[in-house]
Amino acid sequence: MTSVGYDPAAPGAELERRGIRLGDVLFQGVALAASVAATALLGLIAYQVFSDAWPAIEQFGLSFVWTEAWDPVKDTYGALTFVYGTVVTSVIALLLATPLSIAIALFLTEIAPRRVAAPIATLVELLAAIPSVVLGLWGILVFGPWVRDTLEPWLQSFLGWCPLFSGEPSQAGMLPAALVLTIMIIPITSAICRELFSRTPRDLMDGAMALGSTRWEAIRGVMFAYAAPGIAAAVLLGLGRAFGEAIAVNQVIGGANSIHISLFAPADSLGSRIAAQYQGATSALQASSILYLGAILMVISLVTNVLAQVIVRRFERSRRAY
Amino acid sequence: MTTIPSDDRYDITVRSAGLRRRKLTEKAYAGLAVASAVIAVAILALVLGTVIHKGLSALSLDFFTKPRPLFGQAGGIADALVGSALIVSMAMVMAIPFSILVAIFMAEYAGPRLSVALRIVLDVLNGVPAIVVGIFVFGLLVVGRGQSAIFGAFSLAVLMLPMVARATQEVLEIVPRSLREASLALGVTRWRTTLSIVLPTAIGGILTGVVIAVARVAGETAPLLFTSSIAANQISTDVTNALPTLPVSIFVFSESPDPGEQAAGWAAALVLIAFVLVLNIVAKVVAGRQRRKHEGV
Amino acid sequence: MKRAALATFALVGALALAAVAGQAQASSSATKDTQLVGTGATFPFPLISKWIPEVGKAYGINITYSPTGSGAGIAGITARTVDFGASDAPLSDQQLADCKGCVVIPWALAAVSIPYNLPGLNGRVHLNGATLASIYLGTITSWNDPAIRKLNPKLSLPDTKITPVYRSDGSGTTFAYTAYLSAVSGQFSRRVGNNTSVNFPTGVGARGSSGVAGVVRNTPGALTYVDAAYSIQNKLQFAMIQNRAGRFTTPGLRGIAQAVSTLPKKITSPAQLKIVDPPKAAGPLAYPISTFTYVILPTSSAKAAELRKFVYWAVTQGQKFGPPLFFVPLPTSVKAYAYRELAKVKVAA
Repeated sequence: MTSVGYDPAAPGAELERRGIRLGDVLFQGVALAASVAATALLGLIAYQVFSDAWPAIEQFGLSFVWTEAWDPVKDTYGALTFVYGTVVTSVIALLLATPLSIAIALFLTEIAPRRVAAPIATLVELLAAIPSVVLGLWGILVFGPWVRDTLEPWLQSFLGWCPLFSGEPSQAGMLPAALVLTIMIIPITSAICRELFSRTPRDLMDGAMALGSTRWEAIRGVMFAYAAPGIAAAVLLGLGRAFGEAIAVNQVIGGANSIHISLFAPADSLGSRIAAQYQGATSALQASSILYLGAILMVISLVTNVLAQVIVRRFERSRRAY
Repeated sequence: MTTIPSDDRYDITVRSAGLRRRKLTEKAYAGLAVASAVIAVAILALVLGTVIHKGLSALSLDFFTKPRPLFGQAGGIADALVGSALIVSMAMVMAIPFSILVAIFMAEYAGPRLSVALRIVLDVLNGVPAIVVGIFVFGLLVVGRGQSAIFGAFSLAVLMLPMVARATQEVLEIVPRSLREASLALGVTRWRTTLSIVLPTAIGGILTGVVIAVARVAGETAPLLFTSSIAANQISTDVTNALPTLPVSIFVFSESPDPGEQAAGWAAALVLIAFVLVLNIVAKVVAGRQRRKHEGV
Repeated sequence: MKRAALATFALVGALALAAVAGQAQASSSATKDTQLVGTGATFPFPLISKWIPEVGKAYGINITYSPTGSGAGIAGITARTVDFGASDAPLSDQQLADCKGCVVIPWALAAVSIPYNLPGLNGRVHLNGATLASIYLGTITSWNDPAIRKLNPKLSLPDTKITPVYRSDGSGTTFAYTAYLSAVSGQFSRRVGNNTSVNFPTGVGARGSSGVAGVVRNTPGALTYVDAAYSIQNKLQFAMIQNRAGRFTTPGLRGIAQAVSTLPKKITSPAQLKIVDPPKAAGPLAYPISTFTYVILPTSSAKAAELRKFVYWAVTQGQKFGPPLFFVPLPTSVKAYAYRELAKVKVAA
């Protein structure tokens, strides 16, 4: 413990006279080192993935991204099947999850009384806590067969004319994977939306209703307009989560090698293909191509993440003007 | 002088068709909102219910004391429980001090722009998919050396870092400046102030962040697939080799055709979910207590 | 008070960590010399599972084997992340070169069964190479296709869609199966080819022998290729496959034994161990999709002594555990080849 009195003869006295404490310098140095290391870690991840993918990048170039091929026998590879699978499953999940999440958030902030809202909010958060491998287990053994036996035939009965819903129902395919992703995204998006809606300034809403609008019209006109950027950010964050999910998707998507139009047919996504094949690549080029898939996945996750953050920061800045 | 529109649609004294329609729309959307919440809760109930129902029947004393089975035998998850416990503990040891230091730097020492830059770095790190972290650690550490529980723990620590750091940073910033200034005015060094005054004040929030991060990584499968998946079917504490883990075991059981192994998968999922849910509830309780303490201040 | 609690907690935590670390150190130093870690093919996993406790009893060697697929086995031993790799597919020249001094030793012999899921069928399905190739090429899509009905005149085949299931991971079983299909179907050979991982144009992928058996079990109308032990274990009905002699055969012990009956007396390379689509001379019961499965060892290893004990035991005494699991004991010529290759495994300098 430092004494209150100042002893000029004591060691470190010169430093102390200048107001510099050795302990402080050391501590700040350690904290700085940790922060530098955290930043370096991010760079290292990008570097490692790209350098391992380099042989494939060199061999196939950028056209890898839109080439539909995955043939270890001929040693030619292309990512289109998996990019397509990732994008389609994630977009479908988003289209289904976003209105549901907004509705849930509205329910929790506007409709439900406080005593009901709190436990229901907890339950929705618990949905986020379910590990993806458990959702996948449920997907393989319970949900997939139900989709094959009940949901897909039902959809086909009135939508069968559409190529998206053609073909034989299957328990492994694009549709079960998209639905599992929906279940994963809902808690994330609804939690963010709930935050946004509860932070809408009350006087804006009250003003609208004083002018004669119904509750719903006030919500639609005022709350959504106020929260729109935040909702966009929530959507993007959910999308990023969906892009990156590998395990649960791998369990229910069916591991197909080419693109099929029907949502019922097996497909594959970037994360899922990496999880399935990385350890058993037959050639160095295949291993490197799988890492190229990882690089693509990293890039699209990064882009959605950064976009979400840009929107959030611009949102925060404009809100502070209020 | 503006003329007030005499549109019957907006005259609330007139019970017009327009008002009825608008009220109906309001009820319809309210109904949709309620229905959505019901759907969400129903899905949760469905998944949890199935896990509990199918998992309970497979639970037995054997399940908790025997290791995973070889082909054609019965077994349990004792080795996976030990492995998971060791790996998650090591991940905590690796991640927590590191994350707290980063958060301290952001909250106490960094200027506003540096702090924002670091926040962006952490948020981007948070967005890196778990499978990419898995192949990163595989390429960096496992190739040439073999799998080990330590590498698995490192991959989980990479996932924990942004979560714990951001949570800690947010809590540290809430600690009132007056507390720090009072301490410094009394002659306590800056580092002492941070460690002995600021951190303990924020401990509740830090604990919440840690517990949530642990709940998240306890269920992560992808990084462990690459770093700790080739493990003996026996209880082992040798962390220099790969150890079996709960999530990877569930992953393997889920693809098995054997009903016995599938039942083991449900039971293991039940154990994992119970653990994760308990942690989440603990986090909520701690967060609630923190909030009440601060509101009282 | 709080500080005391935190301090106690930290102390207990540190002690616990020290205890764990100490035990880890102790256990690792005790078992490092007598522990073998291997990974690879799921195909021989039933037999290896029987070997592990026996080798433990006989020599005190603690073996860890994780069935991750032949591709992962080859990759693992090439990267030396494991002590031995297992694969149903022999190494190609490129893979041998990449492995930098590895030997490929056959240590078990079994057959690839073709299980299917058609509940309530009045008999066992008969198939041949041409129909299997068409199924996996997607040109035959329904169980009551004329080509299948022609082979099964007495069966009332339903109108169910066939879901061909294949291995999504790098698999030696895929290697053996595609070798067979490429041998009997030129179109398959051109369009898909023969490898541990191929581009099947249709069907559903699953990981591991367990995975494909699981999908077949859960999906009416599905069909796959998997080691016979998995079909039996999971009570899946498997098809009888027509051989070159025109007879429909099962992946049983006699079928496999006849399939290897035309092997040369002296084996000099794994290329001679290709036994799919055996000639007519092999015998009327020869099963056309039989395969050897191999262990891959580094020629120079610190654990060479243990590896040699393990593999020698497996090739000799281990074979008697095979028949109940539909693994046929290795023929003498193959055993001799195994001993010669095993002699090349030496302790690292």
